[in-house]
Amino acid sequence: MGKTDTLSRRDLLKTGGAVAAGVAAAGLVPSVTEAAAKDARYAMVIDLRRCIGCRGCTVACKSEYGVALGRWSAVIKNVEFGKFPDTQKHFLPRLCNHCAGDAGKDGPPCVEKCPENSRGKRMKLGKTRYRTGATYKRPDGMILMDMQYCIGCYKCIEACPYGARSIDPFVKLDRSDKENDLGVGKCTFCQHRVDKGIAPSCVNTCQGGARIFGDLSDPGSEVSKLVKEFNLEKNRNKATLLPDEKTMPHVFYIDPSRILARYKIDKKTKEKEFSDHFE
Amino acid sequence: MSSLSRRNFMKLGMAGSALLASGEGLKSSALAGTMKLQMGGKDFSPKTGSERKAIPTACWSCVTRCAAMGFVEDGRLVKMESNPASIRTEGKMCSKGQSGLQDVYFPDRILYPMKRVGERGEGKWKRISWDNALAELGARMKKLRDDGHPEKFMFHYGRMKASSSKLIKSLFLKGYGTKTIGGHTSICEGGKWTAHELTWGGHYDNWDFDKTDFVLNFGSNVLECHTNHIPVSHRLIRAKVERGVRIVTFDVRLSNTAAKSDEWQPIKPGTDCAVILAMCNVVLNKGLYKGKGEAFMKFVRATDNHDASVADKIANLKKHCAKYTPAWASKISGVSASKIESLAVEYATAKSAVLVSYRGTAAHYNGNEAERACQMLASLTGNIDNPGGRCKAVGAGWEYPHLPKSSKAPVTKGLKVTAGHPDKGHPQHSAFPSHGMCQSVLKMIKSGHAGRPEIYMWYCYNPVYVNGENDENREIMKTIPYLVTSNIVYDESSKLADLILPDATYLERYDWEDMVDPNQIGEHYIRQALVKPLGESEDFGDTCIKLAEQMGFPLGVKSKKEFVQKSCDMTPGVKEAGGFAYMQKHGVWHPADKKPYYYRYKNVIPASATSKDGVIYDDSVGVYWNWKKTKAKSEAEAKKTGYTHTKNAAKGYVGQKIGNTVYEVFKPDKIPKTGYLELYSALMKEKGFNPLPTWMEAPEHKAMGSDDLILTTYKVAVHIHSRSSHRKWASELYHDNPGWINTKTAAARGISDGDRIKVKSRISEIETTARVTEKIVPGVIAISYHVGREESGRYGSGKKSPLGHDNDPDLKNMWWKTHGQHPNFIIPNTPDPVNGQQAWMDTVVKVTKA
Repeated sequence: MGKTDTLSRRDLLKTGGAVAAGVAAAGLVPSVTEAAAKDARYAMVIDLRRCIGCRGCTVACKSEYGVALGRWSAVIKNVEFGKFPDTQKHFLPRLCNHCAGDAGKDGPPCVEKCPENSRGKRMKLGKTRYRTGATYKRPDGMILMDMQYCIGCYKCIEACPYGARSIDPFVKLDRSDKENDLGVGKCTFCQHRVDKGIAPSCVNTCQGGARIFGDLSDPGSEVSKLVKEFNLEKNRNKATLLPDEKTMPHVFYIDPSRILARYKIDKKTKEKEFSDHFE
Repeated sequence: MSSLSRRNFMKLGMAGSALLASGEGLKSSALAGTMKLQMGGKDFSPKTGSERKAIPTACWSCVTRCAAMGFVEDGRLVKMESNPASIRTEGKMCSKGQSGLQDVYFPDRILYPMKRVGERGEGKWKRISWDNALAELGARMKKLRDDGHPEKFMFHYGRMKASSSKLIKSLFLKGYGTKTIGGHTSICEGGKWTAHELTWGGHYDNWDFDKTDFVLNFGSNVLECHTNHIPVSHRLIRAKVERGVRIVTFDVRLSNTAAKSDEWQPIKPGTDCAVILAMCNVVLNKGLYKGKGEAFMKFVRATDNHDASVADKIANLKKHCAKYTPAWASKISGVSASKIESLAVEYATAKSAVLVSYRGTAAHYNGNEAERACQMLASLTGNIDNPGGRCKAVGAGWEYPHLPKSSKAPVTKGLKVTAGHPDKGHPQHSAFPSHGMCQSVLKMIKSGHAGRPEIYMWYCYNPVYVNGENDENREIMKTIPYLVTSNIVYDESSKLADLILPDATYLERYDWEDMVDPNQIGEHYIRQALVKPLGESEDFGDTCIKLAEQMGFPLGVKSKKEFVQKSCDMTPGVKEAGGFAYMQKHGVWHPADKKPYYYRYKNVIPASATSKDGVIYDDSVGVYWNWKKTKAKSEAEAKKTGYTHTKNAAKGYVGQKIGNTVYEVFKPDKIPKTGYLELYSALMKEKGFNPLPTWMEAPEHKAMGSDDLILTTYKVAVHIHSRSSHRKWASELYHDNPGWINTKTAAARGISDGDRIKVKSRISEIETTARVTEKIVPGVIAISYHVGREESGRYGSGKKSPLGHDNDPDLKNMWWKTHGQHPNFIIPNTPDPVNGQQAWMDTVVKVTKA
């Protein structure tokens, strides 16, 4: 998108006054040239050099969603090694990886295993049609949930190799055919903010600027530039968590100190591991 | 940042997807390149998609007091973020700032005036009306005032700044007439400020990370908990990653700051001073002061002669530092001599370098000398008040309404209990307690040598818990006739009170604010109420206004809000921008030219200023001063007594004569130093100390046995000293504080990770858990404070507070059962002999398996 476009749009905003949701009326939406028309693909790059372990993200996430005690959608893990005085301590922020899923699959394991993954509404994003479900993948890559359709089978929790999902004690399921009483929670990339033009809550607060969020389909975006500069997509075996699971995470790490290689997630304790305790 | 966020308007290609949130289908594109995200300033409900109401305000979690943005949904405060327009925070906020909203909603909050009905500390209370509470307190206070003994009302505060401080101290307490006012700075970093007052006058050093080329850090956990935390911490990590600035951190512990530094230099507690002196030795012996250091020495006093040449100054410092060789310091500190030497060279030869120091350096018996040594090292290399160096801080200056003349106190008196014992040789004596001696207040009250208060009131402070010797504090407090506090938390001290007033939280009140700007520009900002005070809580500032009215000395404003409003409408700059209305809308104001201040010491004082009526010259120190602004009764008396010994002489300071020019140089503040940056302090010499920065070993350390360890304390990134354990998100992250002990030190005592251990000092013993780790120097046990609470509600202590509620659905999700062990029980209240700073980090202990 050219500079002139940006300017005219800014002017439009000024005169229109209304920002965010109000502007969603179709008439105001700029037309994008067909050539550039490609679905957005959201991703996060986490620059481990910049994370200082402050837990701003952990609490921002709790606050944004009113996340219950005992469960988290964003955490920081300490990765420590070495003997005194050469001890090292590093910080590894974690969230849902918003995985694309392996080639040939419709989505990541959580979506695949969700029996209600396409029982929801018919939707269209860009030119792409899709259906929502209890757990579903939006065409822009966000892995989202709609608790209207969740039956509480918790197969998604089991399926996620990262332990990024948990039972939400604040969500009561009301479907008559539900298997359990409570719903499921996890990171949504702050879809409700992003859709209105505001960065995710954890990105907003990150004082080191370690979390960079944006559209991988836009070569001009900060995430695209970083992915290119650090070769994160091609080198995803060293830039994402659990590459062997072939989930194709879309949370990439800039990791010059090779922290990911030292960090293990045990299947048996994956949910417990997805918690945050400051030491 | 403000311009960035304006530029970062979203391009509305994605707008259609907003409808998803309200359950409607997408009608438009969400296509590549169509969206640019705005970083913040807005927030939406994840449930309904509707926009949350954004109100600019200011944080009050730690003393940094960042400009902030509160988001309100259906009348309830749900989220705190930074104010993107702040040039200090640049839109960033720490976890503490964000958990702050739980100050409002934690279920054990004090919401009504409470009167004690059981024994002190028994926990039996009854709710009373505000009318009754004010009638009781007002009558007691009025009687003391009417009897001519306002000093018997003692006021002791912890966090009280900017407009809160002005309204309460400069209006209410002034109008009442008590000067028995204690602060808490000496249990924080007051000693560092005294060292500043002795060297370069007014305190606070800003570290110019945006421009620096090298960071040498002694004992500051910048990235977790500095007193100007977010403004400097995000700049420090940015300097490292984006500009490749090297950071070296000396710390006994691998703090997050040490972990993110290029080098962690483990060091034995209390020995930073030796290493810094040895670095001065290296700089002097290698001639590294030549160039900008030498040029700066013109503005430094370094010998007994105030008119000495730069060569004489260098020669004197060289002579003084000759014994402080790297090999000598290495033996004391455990840092290798070659490392001390190479870091000294790196610091001295960097284009600009910032010398950072904080409580790890200052909260020791020798903290004053360590900080003076820092000033010496920075001076010798010209890294003072320069871009990229250790700068004199710039905050915002505010005008405010003063106490009406008709409300002036008929009698003004104070009990001398707030700054230690007057007798030299007394264990609670210090030479220059310019920030009081908080930790000895209760001991002074107990001794009775200076009289005892009838009423002891504390505010935003927890005397039992935050000083050393907790058990003794509790017992002494019980002997004071009347105890009263205004508080949001039922804590270790308020449980002893006779009357507890329900304070409003900082998110329910108004203030103007002024904390230091790392840009050297200054940021004016305000705090405004985001929600109505919960229950019957009320800003203590408003309570003071009512009490003053009731006692017959109205403060001239009807509310704290009016005080803040008037201040905004009368402060130059803010006033022209639109005053209070502008500040309510934007939260922050900056001068249009955004000019940073450096090198102010070079300002020349014009002849017109030195020839003003009352200005005289004291040639024994080279200072022009206006005797009429001091306590001197006549010019003759002023001349006879001289600048140094006339009371309040510093208030009359005009300039320092250097050669044939008079410079502003470094204005004195609380201590009547000359205008020079005084590395040589005639004032210290008078008190029997070495006038130049000198190594002093803590007496306790000299007498250490081979089996003894040193106990140090520390802060963590997610808590505020003593005021956050009731916040569920803070305590969920950190609720236990095992003692960190090096693997070898532990092994020698048969201690394994997780073992219960006893830690015994000369005054008391605690039992806690061992965290055996490679992240700490041998010979030390480090225990954080923050937790180990006896009270503070369920999230902090597991105990429900009297009149606590059960209306937080998260109470049933609380999963932690441990609440830690507070180390202050075993830390004696011991001052730095020069400045009165509590020597937190020096306690010698024995650690054994329990």
